[in-house]
Amino acid sequence: MLWRYIAKRLLIGVVQLFGLIIAVFFLIRLLPADPVSRLVGMNASEEAYAQAAAQLGLDQPVMTQLAQYLGLQPDVQPGLLQGSLGISWVTNTPVLTEIGSYLPVTLELITLAFIVALLVAVPVGMFGALNPGGRADKGVFLYSLFAGSQPEFWWGLLFVYVFYYQLGVAPPPLGRLSPMTNPPDFVTGVMLVDTLIAGSIPKFLEALHHLMLPVLTLAFILSGPIIKMVRQNMLRALQSDFVLYANCIGLPKKRVARYALRAAMAPSMTLIGILYGFMLSGAVLVESVFSLGGIGQYSIRSVLAFDYPAIQGVVLVITAISLLVYLILDLVHAAIDPRIAH
Amino acid sequence: MTDLSGPSDLPPLAVRKRDGLLTFGVTIVTVVCILAVIGPYIGPYDPTLTTPRVAVPPPGLLEIPGTFIGWLSGTLEYPPHWMGTDASGYDIFSRVIAAPRTDLAIALAANALSLILGVFFGLIAGYYRNWGTEFMMRVSDVMQSFPVFISAMVLVALAGRSTTNIVIALAFVYVPIYIRLTRAEVLSQKSRGFVEAARALGQPELTIALRHVLPNSMTPALIQSSVTIGFAILLTAGLSFVGAGVRPPTPEWGLMISTGANQIILGEWWPSVFPGIAISLTVFGFAVLGNALERRYEEGQ
Amino acid sequence: MTLLTVRNLQVTYRSETAVSRPVDGASFTINPREVVGLVGDAGSGKSTAALALLGLARAPGAITGGAVIFEGRDLLKLPDDEVRAIRGRDIGIIVQNPRAALNPMLRVGTQIGNAYKAHNPATEAQARKQAVDMLRMVGINDPERRVEAFAHELSGGMAQRALIAMALSSKPKLLIADEPTSGLDVTIQAQFLDEMWQTVQSTGSAILLVTQELGVIANYCDRVLVLHDGRIVEDAPVRDFFANPQHPYSQDVLRLFRERGGEYPAQITGPRDFLKTDALTKHFPLRNSKKVVQAVDKVTLTIGRAEAVGLVGESGSGKTTVGRCLLRLVDATSGKITFDGTDITALPPADMRKIRSRMQIVFQDPYDSLNPRWTIEDLLAEPLRVHGTPDKATVRAKATAALNLVDLDPALLDRKPRGLGASTLQRVNIARALILDPEFVVLDEPTSVLAPRARNGLIALLAKLQKDLGISFLFISHDLTTVRYLCQRVAVMYLGQIVEEGTVEQVFSTPRHPYSAALLSAHLFPDPTHRRVDHPVPAALQGEIPSPIDVPKGCYLSSRCPHATDTCRATAQTLTSLPDGRQVRCMRVVNGEI
Repeated sequence: MLWRYIAKRLLIGVVQLFGLIIAVFFLIRLLPADPVSRLVGMNASEEAYAQAAAQLGLDQPVMTQLAQYLGLQPDVQPGLLQGSLGISWVTNTPVLTEIGSYLPVTLELITLAFIVALLVAVPVGMFGALNPGGRADKGVFLYSLFAGSQPEFWWGLLFVYVFYYQLGVAPPPLGRLSPMTNPPDFVTGVMLVDTLIAGSIPKFLEALHHLMLPVLTLAFILSGPIIKMVRQNMLRALQSDFVLYANCIGLPKKRVARYALRAAMAPSMTLIGILYGFMLSGAVLVESVFSLGGIGQYSIRSVLAFDYPAIQGVVLVITAISLLVYLILDLVHAAIDPRIAH
Repeated sequence: MTDLSGPSDLPPLAVRKRDGLLTFGVTIVTVVCILAVIGPYIGPYDPTLTTPRVAVPPPGLLEIPGTFIGWLSGTLEYPPHWMGTDASGYDIFSRVIAAPRTDLAIALAANALSLILGVFFGLIAGYYRNWGTEFMMRVSDVMQSFPVFISAMVLVALAGRSTTNIVIALAFVYVPIYIRLTRAEVLSQKSRGFVEAARALGQPELTIALRHVLPNSMTPALIQSSVTIGFAILLTAGLSFVGAGVRPPTPEWGLMISTGANQIILGEWWPSVFPGIAISLTVFGFAVLGNALERRYEEGQ
Repeated sequence: MTLLTVRNLQVTYRSETAVSRPVDGASFTINPREVVGLVGDAGSGKSTAALALLGLARAPGAITGGAVIFEGRDLLKLPDDEVRAIRGRDIGIIVQNPRAALNPMLRVGTQIGNAYKAHNPATEAQARKQAVDMLRMVGINDPERRVEAFAHELSGGMAQRALIAMALSSKPKLLIADEPTSGLDVTIQAQFLDEMWQTVQSTGSAILLVTQELGVIANYCDRVLVLHDGRIVEDAPVRDFFANPQHPYSQDVLRLFRERGGEYPAQITGPRDFLKTDALTKHFPLRNSKKVVQAVDKVTLTIGRAEAVGLVGESGSGKTTVGRCLLRLVDATSGKITFDGTDITALPPADMRKIRSRMQIVFQDPYDSLNPRWTIEDLLAEPLRVHGTPDKATVRAKATAALNLVDLDPALLDRKPRGLGASTLQRVNIARALILDPEFVVLDEPTSVLAPRARNGLIALLAKLQKDLGISFLFISHDLTTVRYLCQRVAVMYLGQIVEEGTVEQVFSTPRHPYSAALLSAHLFPDPTHRRVDHPVPAALQGEIPSPIDVPKGCYLSSRCPHATDTCRATAQTLTSLPDGRQVRCMRVVNGEI
């Protein structure tokens, strides 16, 4: 039953993904961007232009380009069916390889930021919900509204100014390690893990130091919606009929708290899904402030260079991950709340 | 004889307090709206022209009164740079107050466009449930699950970095929210008793949809507008920050922050800090307003 | 010695915008083993008061004064853990909307076990065994299976039984029952209250029964407390209360029953063919299934001019769907509807619209059936504008007249529905239905959401309008008392079929079909001289109403009927006329066997 559900969802996900790929493929070709002149420059000769167009495959009919991209002509070049996302027009490197090295950076950033945000936001939100309407609750509420509506890139810069320039406790925003440091061998792409695998504690601490401000920035922005969500769900749970009834029949305080917590957790699952998109958007900007070189910066670079294969690759990977995240969250939700599975 | 029994409203012992948050939100939104109209004309300098003075810091807190008096009495050789100038010599104050013309106009236009489209499609999707509208909902699901910033960035960069394209791109990423909100509301409103009552009277279905269902289904979307306008301002600024938004020298907060970003490591904080405060307050104002409206609506329910 | 003494209890609700005191100085006592009824209008603070007896208030409310002295200790002054020990152990509570009171994420058995473990030393296994025993004790079949259920898998009656199992698991000295049957059907309500009463006899608990149903009070309570404006305004033994109510509110509530003795409305003299249905059937298809919901099954009904016909039955009996079919709000699957000689079953939309000015409907929920954004004047004008192009002055004049007709102040014309009470809004709905001078009106449970006092007023108004204007009514209701007051004839529905039809006097005084008999015996008439608990009535029907998706093969009632034979279970029954003019769908009645 469960496996059939998962299989069904994955199947629908693949169909959605396929539809999206096609849509994005045509959309970016419909828009009036000219990747060739971006590549060869505005003043290039006509021959140079035509040569570059042929090299990119843009001289061929759109349907042929699509067929090649999907991998229906594996003898010409490998495509999606062969597990290839194409070759980047800017770097001439396979897009899959590039994404493989950029994605872990972003995942590391948003995972850490999410954990930090949760550690702060859950107790704060619960505190607000336990004293509804009080002065502290109003403060908590205002903070959540404020943090959730802030420009993350500006706060990043502000933190750099304060913690790097004024206080000198943070490194300059120039990447994941100091430019002087030799990076460890690429294993997982997650710097904190790779430095440990390389057995270098100083490098691990350096990576941690460099992650401090980006994580702080993103966690600050994230804490807004999370506090709001925790507070709201907890408030709703505490005011629900069944928690009141649990008090009515004299269940011990601890048991009542457990009833309420579980009830508050279930609806949070859907919101976490929404937060995931929010986090990725934030990560794009934070990465670019701190030059972390994650998938966000990769997408900025590809978009500004009109690098079609890279853009398509980014869209594909991000959507695939988000579909998976939604599926997992739905499964967790169903495990917490039997009504969902029903 | 009036009969007011039934679930009676208990006599309130105290009357409504003033809603401070609402006042705050309304004030900020009003100021920004006014600046959007007159901002480019009231600054001491033309916001799109450089001055010969480069990277001048703003007057220190203690110098402000003196500068102010000097400015009023006309003893200064040039109007003061209240927020300093950036590395190219632009007067930051003039640009900060001129920027709402760009930021707010984009946000308002994008929101209006997505609101109209979203409510229209949401009404259809809620009113007629067939494979066509189901497909539409699936599409809007996929669109919504994708990070809005990346979608907007791709659209603007490839379509060309014009104001119109930014508006269209933002409208595109926000439409699904409105479709979903409106559809959900239409679904609940169309099964309400007054809709069936209108049908029993013989009202044509189109009249029911437009006169009964639509007006009652729009409130959540209108409330969301306030939040969306705020986020649209953030998004517009973010796009400029990564170089996929409006082109310089347009006065725009994100662009100004971006221009100042390189100097901040060197300690020149003012080119990015002032426009940042402007965004921060503006978006917070819209969020507060949206929240106050939402609370009023929920209390009314 | 009294069990519970409440003194000057005060509960305050403080929101950002207003402060209110639903309970403001209530004082009363409860003695051991006594059954005390607490009555009052909706919003009179009954539930708030009941909750406050446990030292609790629903957020954002708080108990702001008074004392609740239980066995000599003031619960409002005890430390939290000591009050918690008393709650559930010494004072049990069951509430309205039992499904919301159960934790949706835990199995029912676990919850009952948790309740038991909170007050008794027990292992997991003992708690579970206790849960099964308690469910069995409160009359749940197959308790071993039911302990595994979640709240959303239970019917309202089942969930209420689960709640009472939890409340009684520690044999409390006081049981607070806060409108325990408000969402339940009549037959289930009587069954439940009987069982609750009997169970409490064995545990020796006192009961505080909060309700607005006088029938419940009359049949189960020893003493009545009337809560009005936050305080107790009357405290009397049940017979005295009904015989000689003291407070104006009590007198108002009891007026309808006191004015009309045993009289039935006079029968009409003309032919009964103004509105006819012939084998009207409505099936709703189910998604992803070939099965259908059989909502209405071959209903044949006739209504004469100026006649009021009642349509009674429990929820799910299809009575509402019949009303909607008559007005073509849903299209019948088969069968025929004739209105004043015209077959309207498949009338084209344009012709149907003309007919709609002559037939109208009033829905159950007055809040829901008025567009909240329109003024009362616009709402009243809508029918006029659909069926003509009246000028402003005409609209105003007609709207004013319509409000006068339903005893409302024309000053309401410029107001919007928001902030008006249920009874006012329902009168607006009636005015709206009558503004086109229709000849036939369907009243779909128009009084079910009203408080008893408002209900009395509305019923009297409807009776007057029907007499004065000569309109035909189809009065759909589950409340037999109002049908008896308002209608000349009545049809009883069960699972989409009419099982008995006759004059109100015939059906109410000598019901013949086993279901009608059960319905009437389950109905709690507000008469304390014939209390159910003094003259025990054996449960007339077993179990709950079957699903209209899988109806029984033969007689639809055969699964619950005490008189059912194998023939009943195998043969479908037909509606047959008896010599006295009524019709009954039961072979055994027609054959004179029962």
